[in-house]
Amino acid sequence: MAAEAGLVPTGAVRIHQPCLRAQQPGSGNIEAQLIRRACEGDNRAVRALYDRYSPRVYAVVRRIAGDDDLAEDYAQEAWIRAIRALPTFRGEARFSTWLHRIAVNSALQAVRKEKTRRKREVALPDVIPVPPRIGDTLMQRKLEEALAELPDGMRKVLILHDVEGYTHEEIGAALGVTSGTSKSQLFKARAKMRRMLKGHETRPKEIEAWSV
Amino acid sequence: MERLNLEQLARLVDEPPTPEERAVLEGDPGLRRELDALRSQTEALGNLPAVLPPPGGWHELEKKLMAAGLILGGRSNAHLWRKWLQVAAALVIFVGGTTLGWVTGSAPEGFGGAEVSSEPASYASLEEAMAAVDEAADRYRAAYGGLQQFVSAEGLRGRSRDPAAHIAALETLMAASRAAVEESPGDPFWNDVYVRSLAEHDFTIREVIADWR
Repeated sequence: MAAEAGLVPTGAVRIHQPCLRAQQPGSGNIEAQLIRRACEGDNRAVRALYDRYSPRVYAVVRRIAGDDDLAEDYAQEAWIRAIRALPTFRGEARFSTWLHRIAVNSALQAVRKEKTRRKREVALPDVIPVPPRIGDTLMQRKLEEALAELPDGMRKVLILHDVEGYTHEEIGAALGVTSGTSKSQLFKARAKMRRMLKGHETRPKEIEAWSV
Repeated sequence: MERLNLEQLARLVDEPPTPEERAVLEGDPGLRRELDALRSQTEALGNLPAVLPPPGGWHELEKKLMAAGLILGGRSNAHLWRKWLQVAAALVIFVGGTTLGWVTGSAPEGFGGAEVSSEPASYASLEEAMAAVDEAADRYRAAYGGLQQFVSAEGLRGRSRDPAAHIAALETLMAASRAAVEESPGDPFWNDVYVRSLAEHDFTIREVIADWR
C-alpha cells in the first residue's frame, strides 16, 4: 500500500488530462464524481475534497513534521502531489487511504530534505516539540507532547504504527528499513512514551513551560 | 525467567506472550498493570483526533494549484462568501451568547442576541457586496476570537465551578455546533468547535465521575 503512494508522479502540468472514472468501494457516487471533476481541474471539486480530508492530512503531516509552520508547507505539498497524481487513482483503495499514503510519503520526504538542509546550515536539536493547541484535552496534549519528544526515528514509527495503523512491512517500505527494525523501534518508542507519561524522564524546558 | 522490561512488555501489546513470559506475568500484578497501561497508551494514540489545518490554507493551496496548472481559474465566490460569512458571524455570536449566558447568567460584551438571517441580500454593485463581505468577515473574526477563548479547556473551567452548569453549557454548544456542521460540513471553524466541545464534555464527565469515586 505504501508503495502505491510512493508511485506519485511529479510530472508536467496537467489540464484536462483524461481521467479515469473512479469507482470507489464503499463510498458514494458523489465522491467518485468529485474525484473525476477534481482530476479534470475543477476548482470547486478540489476544494470539496480539501474540505473533507484536510484535517486528516494535516494531522499526520503535523505529527511527522513536529512543527506547525513546517506542517503547513508539507501539507500543501502533499495536496499538490495528490492532485497531480489524481489520474493514477484507480479506485482500488479508498480515496482517503490513497490520499493518506501520499501525505505520509510526502511528509517523510520533506522531513528528510529539511534535516539535510539544517545539517548544512547549523546543528539544531533533532526533536522539535509541538506546542499544544488550545482546546486539546489534557490526555491528548500529554500524548502529543510526549510524541514530539521522541527521537525522530522512533516518533515516525510510532506515529505510522500506533496512530495511523500502518503495518511493519508498510513502515519498512516507507522509511527504507526492515520490518524487524520497525518493530524494534516501535517497542522502544512505546516504552519511552510510557516512561515520559509516567514522568520518569526529564523534559526539556520548553515542554515544561507548556505543561498545564 | 527474569522480570520483563518495558520494551518486552511493549511487544506484548501486539503479540501473545511466550509460555515463560505468561508465567512471569501471572506472578506479577505490577507487570500486568504496566502492560494494561501500555495497551491504554496505544489505544489512546490510535484515537488521537485529526488536526484542523490553519485557516486560509485553501487559498494558499488554490494559488499554488493554479500556478501549477492543476486547477482551472474559478469564478469569483464573493456572492457565496457574503452569505456564508453573515450566517457564520450570526451563528458564532448566537452560540457564544447563549452558552456564556448559561454559565455565567449574563452574556459578555461582544456577544449579542444576533439572529440568523436566511433572506438573500441585494447589492447595487460589486463594491457594495465586497464591503458587506468584509464587514461580515470582521464580525466573524471578532466573535471567533471570543468563542475560541471560551471553548478552550481553561476558559471553560475558569468560568464555572458548577459541573452541572458546565456540562449543560457544553451540551448547548455541542448541539449548536453539530447543527452548524450539518449545515456546512466543510467549515473548519464549526468542525473545530464541535470536536472541542465533544472532547471537553467527555473530559468533564470523566472528571465528575473521578470526583465521585
